[in-house]
Amino acid sequence: MSWRKREVHTLSGPYAMDAISAPDRARFERHLAGCEECAREIASLREATARLATATAVPPPPALKQRVMLAAAATRQQPPAAERDPAARTWRWRHGLRIRLAMAVAAVAMAGVAVVFGVSNGSMRDQLSQAQASSQQIAGVLTAGDATMVTGPVTGGGTATIVMSHSRHALVFTAADLRALPASRGYELWLVGPAGDRPVTMLPPARHDMAGPVIASGLRQGDHLALTAEPAGGTPRPTTPMMLDVIL
Amino acid sequence: MTAIERPDRGGAQPSLPADLAAGITLVARGDAAAFDAVYDQVAASVFGIVRRVIRDPAQSEEVTQDVLLEVWRNAAKFDPGRGSATAWVTTLAHRRAVDRVRSVQKESERERRTAAADIPYDEVAEAVESSLERERVRRCLGALTGLQRESVTLAYYGGYTYGQVASLLGVPAGTIKTRMRDALIRLRDCMGVAAE
Repeated sequence: MSWRKREVHTLSGPYAMDAISAPDRARFERHLAGCEECAREIASLREATARLATATAVPPPPALKQRVMLAAAATRQQPPAAERDPAARTWRWRHGLRIRLAMAVAAVAMAGVAVVFGVSNGSMRDQLSQAQASSQQIAGVLTAGDATMVTGPVTGGGTATIVMSHSRHALVFTAADLRALPASRGYELWLVGPAGDRPVTMLPPARHDMAGPVIASGLRQGDHLALTAEPAGGTPRPTTPMMLDVIL
Repeated sequence: MTAIERPDRGGAQPSLPADLAAGITLVARGDAAAFDAVYDQVAASVFGIVRRVIRDPAQSEEVTQDVLLEVWRNAAKFDPGRGSATAWVTTLAHRRAVDRVRSVQKESERERRTAAADIPYDEVAEAVESSLERERVRRCLGALTGLQRESVTLAYYGGYTYGQVASLLGVPAGTIKTRMRDALIRLRDCMGVAAE
């Protein structure tokens, strides 16, 4: 479903009022990223919607303030743009053609899983069926109609590829050429968002310089995906600087 | 830039002082005291629009808390060159409210439809906004055509998509899209606000 250019522009009114479906919103935002004139128009329309909002002002119950302050004290802030990895700005979501590339990459990785678990005994079979379940979830994300893909650099070395489907509330993560860590440490993947910081999984050790694919499910609105280096057993909260921070 | 924060309105906007943008910039650096002040400045606007869209008080509180936490977390993303701080915060709030409403929309469709269709514009008796400000918004809404006004109130206060508004009003979706844009431009001009 591609939009003709004029069609995109007429969406500025609905977009400024959030009167637009989630997939249309995502598409319009991709358009906005490359259209300075549209971004200015949206900004000016939002001064009008801001007034519609402030005209409804009602003080919230006083107890809310304490809850918000406590939650804020326990919530990590996003770093200012200037301190973020400048390379991170090269991250761009894409669809379509490049997804096929991701699927090919993932298919190769899954073939690897089958080879590794080819030897059959009881516990291996359990692991294999787990791997298959995960493969099915992964395939579900990769083939979702709204799948989008992004590839970009990881601070400290390596390249990460993410294929995300909002309709499935999940993403698939793979990374290539990550810096090798001592055996006592591993890469841990996080979903960071208003719902809190949630550990996703430890990345399995890289094979042929490829780590993953792993699946992160339970995506929530406003989440970021982050990667840190942690003790090999994993930690409940990130303890080292993020090597990756992608807005989902 | 931040001058948009307070176009000359005879001091009619006491709850949103001109230094909100500066406050959010401090919040971006982890300044908890600044966040306390920002909370006081925006909480009523956030709660107001969230409650208007969601209607259920408990859910509205929950979403208001999420929005204010998002202000804390993502203060660094506020870019004063891209519009006023008020617009940044109310955009976050409205979007969150709409997302919440759409996730539960099916079950309460009928109830919300009725609720949104007759917006009693002055129902908010306990509002902290000065009545002058609300009067201005009401007057500007009143200056729109009927279709423009209904499109805006159903979409912005009712949380409907333009497609849903089109079918509620029995008007082609393409018409609604352009009416929404025209209406916002007229409102913007009427209310004396401009970005950048």
